Amino acid sequence: MAERGGSIYDLGYQHYEGARLGRTRAILALYRESLRAGFGLGRSATAKVAPFVLIGIALTPAIAQLVIGALISGVQDLIRHDEYYSLVSFVLALYCAAVAPDIVGRDQRNHSLALYFSRAISRMDYALAKFAAMTTAMLAITLVPQMLLFIGNALATDSFGTYVREDSDQAIPIVLTAVLGSAMLAAIGTAIAAQTPRRAYATVGIILTFLLSIAVSAILVEEVQTSATDLAVFFSPLTLIEGFTTWMFRTEIASDSLLRDVTFPRATYALAALVWTAGGVAMLVRRYARVQA
Amino acid sequence: MAIFETNELTKRYRTVTALDALTVEVEPGIVGLVGANGAGKSTLIKMLLGLLPPTSGSASVLAYDVASQGTLLRQFVGYMPEHDCLPLDMNATEFVAHMAQISGLPRDAARERTAETLRHVGLFEERYRQMSGYSTGMKQRVKLAQALVHDPRIVFLDEPTNGLDPEGRDEMLDLVTRTGTRFGISILMATHLLGEIERVCERLVVIDGGRLVHHGPIENFTSETGAIEVEVEGDATALATRLVAQGLEASVDHRWVLVGGTGDARYDAIRDGVAELGLGLVRLGQRRRALEDLFRPVEAGTSADG
Repeated sequence: MAERGGSIYDLGYQHYEGARLGRTRAILALYRESLRAGFGLGRSATAKVAPFVLIGIALTPAIAQLVIGALISGVQDLIRHDEYYSLVSFVLALYCAAVAPDIVGRDQRNHSLALYFSRAISRMDYALAKFAAMTTAMLAITLVPQMLLFIGNALATDSFGTYVREDSDQAIPIVLTAVLGSAMLAAIGTAIAAQTPRRAYATVGIILTFLLSIAVSAILVEEVQTSATDLAVFFSPLTLIEGFTTWMFRTEIASDSLLRDVTFPRATYALAALVWTAGGVAMLVRRYARVQA
Repeated sequence: MAIFETNELTKRYRTVTALDALTVEVEPGIVGLVGANGAGKSTLIKMLLGLLPPTSGSASVLAYDVASQGTLLRQFVGYMPEHDCLPLDMNATEFVAHMAQISGLPRDAARERTAETLRHVGLFEERYRQMSGYSTGMKQRVKLAQALVHDPRIVFLDEPTNGLDPEGRDEMLDLVTRTGTRFGISILMATHLLGEIERVCERLVVIDGGRLVHHGPIENFTSETGAIEVEVEGDATALATRLVAQGLEASVDHRWVLVGGTGDARYDAIRDGVAELGLGLVRLGQRRRALEDLFRPVEAGTSADG
């Protein structure tokens, strides 16, 4: 019988003989931890407030459809898929501004970049993992409500299965618009947030970028009304989301939209979104290639 | 095999040369990287880690080229920076396990190694608490733990006792010694504190103004100088004057009389001098070089150019 309390054995230091998965593991771990940081997981309760409140707001219209559809048969398409983003566009901007500084900038704030860059990861890997994490975080507020809306609409019909089968062609634009919109906002948000360790500056910078770009392009398009100033719509990311969403869902642009006043082929909005995304990612990569660790 | 090697490694900023054509090849063990503040210690460590690109020259660690094999190499390297680097809103366990994975360990292994490593550095129940509540000593331990968790072959410690009280300093140095001797992990420890070097290090790399000053086993720096030192009670100056009069090199340093030159005749002269002047002979022995000399190598008579 062992004595009560037992003995303390000094097992000594054990060298690690197991697998070393190197860069691949490192990138995945950074992606995962960054995503958790974005939602405030593993942090205090206050860190979770902003992202989850904003997700809640963005989900509200979709949940309303879901509940009403489940209770009252026949009430479908309260909100259309292609209108969803215009409805919640300010929430998208606020969410991006709230979450991006938790995903990038945090390591600068903590002075922990040196710990990352002295490990099995390159500066480029780091930047891309952060971008991927931010894009995924954005999907919670783009793809998730769109899917809830789809389910809500299906519940509102007589036959859930029939709706899903017949309207499954909606799935492609739902996923494409969500991914493209998320990637663009993530690229812009992380590119701005990576420039400063200060959280407040990053948040304000992101909000200003989105809102000022809408305001300026609205003024240029609606007030100045020349073919040159019409190009201003390409400088407003949130307006672009509206443009490529209606293009992918093959629906009309809303009557109150800025895009009614211009005559560009709508595919160009998707193209412009890709350019914004690429530009943001390039800026992010460049920033981390140079930032002092 | 050398743990690291540099070849004409240079880092130049617009107005300052932080590292100036440093060429050195360092054997495994606990190595002290010594120099005054601003001598280029942190710059060298950061360049060996690939955190700073060289202006010219090259470096390799564990036979991996730093510039071209960085991500591969850094699976086997640990780094404890001088500055604060902890996300204080996390707890130590989550943070260290995360860092283990960034070094390439699978998640389960990372968790296991985290528990072991935190125990090794002396963190127990506190390891589940948010680090914002930690003392400086505890934070330094977490910084050391994250550098060791993935079982590196070499760790770079930049002023690991910074900000610690004497007790914390002792414990940190014990940890460093144990890590180096019992675990066989090579250590490059940057410090400007000579006491720490004497206590911990087996070899030294001394740099000043970004240039290599000395490099070798610590014995080289504390070897006998050939001079005899005589501690007397009474008038040391009188003894020195008498010895000089006899044609010996002698000088006074506080209560000490230093007798240079060679030959056993010196001992007889000292004995006779002390006896005839009626001084008390407290101690008589070979003068050893002091590490302090490293910082003033130009001073005549006591320079250590081993």
